[in-house]
Amino acid sequence: MSTMNRGLLDRVWNSVTESQIWRSIFRHGYPDTPLNQSLVMMGNVFLHLHPVKVSRKAMKVTYTWCLGGLSFFLFLVLTITGVFLMFYFVPEQSVAYTDIQQINSAIIFGKLVRNMHRWSAHLMVVTVTLHMVRVFYHGAYKPPREFNWVIGVVLFLTTLLLSFTGYLLPWDQIGYWAITVGSNMASYAPLLGAQVHNVLAGQPVGVGQPTLIRFYTLHVIGLPLVGAVLMAVHFWRIRKDGGEAGPPPPSKREIEAARAEQAAGAQPTPAGSLN
Amino acid sequence: MATTEPRPTRTENGTAGATQKRYRTLAVVKQEAVTRVEKQLEDSVFVWPHLLVREFLAAMLMTMVLTVTSLAIDAPLRDHSNPNLTPNPAKAPWYFLGLQEILHYFPPTVAGVLIPGFVLVGLALLPYIDRNPSRAFEDRKLSITVFTIFAVFFAIATLAGSFFRGSGWQWIWPWQGVFFDL
Repeated sequence: MSTMNRGLLDRVWNSVTESQIWRSIFRHGYPDTPLNQSLVMMGNVFLHLHPVKVSRKAMKVTYTWCLGGLSFFLFLVLTITGVFLMFYFVPEQSVAYTDIQQINSAIIFGKLVRNMHRWSAHLMVVTVTLHMVRVFYHGAYKPPREFNWVIGVVLFLTTLLLSFTGYLLPWDQIGYWAITVGSNMASYAPLLGAQVHNVLAGQPVGVGQPTLIRFYTLHVIGLPLVGAVLMAVHFWRIRKDGGEAGPPPPSKREIEAARAEQAAGAQPTPAGSLN
Repeated sequence: MATTEPRPTRTENGTAGATQKRYRTLAVVKQEAVTRVEKQLEDSVFVWPHLLVREFLAAMLMTMVLTVTSLAIDAPLRDHSNPNLTPNPAKAPWYFLGLQEILHYFPPTVAGVLIPGFVLVGLALLPYIDRNPSRAFEDRKLSITVFTIFAVFFAIATLAGSFFRGSGWQWIWPWQGVFFDL
């Protein structure tokens, strides 16, 4: 009975994987041989961000804590939940707040999706910051990875701005006054304070409808595009700069100690060794 | 370095000679990669499945944490915005509360513009300022000390601004009242 079932399953599986449709999508067999494990990484546009092989040490979860990867994953979660919220949210000051109330109370899964968007956003600020701290302590910003660190700093700023622009959108007292406090800061920029505030808020004083539409546009398209492009460069450069840095190599003192030990061991033992 | 394509010699009627071989550049191999034969092979594993399994598990774990958190805790939504009713205290988003705390001690141009500006530019320039080539902790005492002092300072300022400041930005202990929104 079971052998007959297996025979049937095998036949169905084979006819699927040997069909022209399947073979037009996947150019290789199941990745359980070194050849197919290489082909799957090189032939898949999403997987080819990764190399075929990776250093065991650099891959350790206790080395990276997955912080960069999780930041990217949170960006994806925010994009998906964000598109859902865009279906229901109109960036107009007379309806923005009630739209959020509707999402919370009348839209199926609306509250869950909005909660996920909010918590992912806060968490992303945390993971990006911790990723930066981790990279600093491992010295992974040193040559040849200097410029990727610079891109990382810009991505950090982009993350903060994405969070900041999103903060205003519910148009409640929290967002409205947090952005008022924040954008007032910009007015204190030397020389160009008033102009900077005007560009940011769309009006000379305070926060209003022009601010809402600017923050909305930046939040849903401008900054995500900047982030996506910079992320592409960031990931590409990891590969081009020699992959993950891996745990720091031994210190100067340790290298010298090892060298001294080697030299001592290599030296021919003096007189008396002839017997 | 690169294999260059030899210019095909042309016969009198303009067609390339039949025996002429053509070369194409398939890859540029850096000298170092060719010569450093004694370099030890790294202890490496296939990304499929070893790394991808870890990434998948991390993503699944994160999805579960997010879903459970979002089911348990609702995102805040206060009253409709009112330009005539300034909350006291009016706080920036949590990641700027360190700066808002510093604003309490320094003039706005310094705390609100110059300090964050210098921090960002300084961070971006870090790899060009810190010329020490070693990555070992032991060889980097200065840079690690300086960075740690800055990081701890900002963390303390952020915590103070978040949980220890009440109306009029007066110092308040968390058990006396928390003025903090996420």
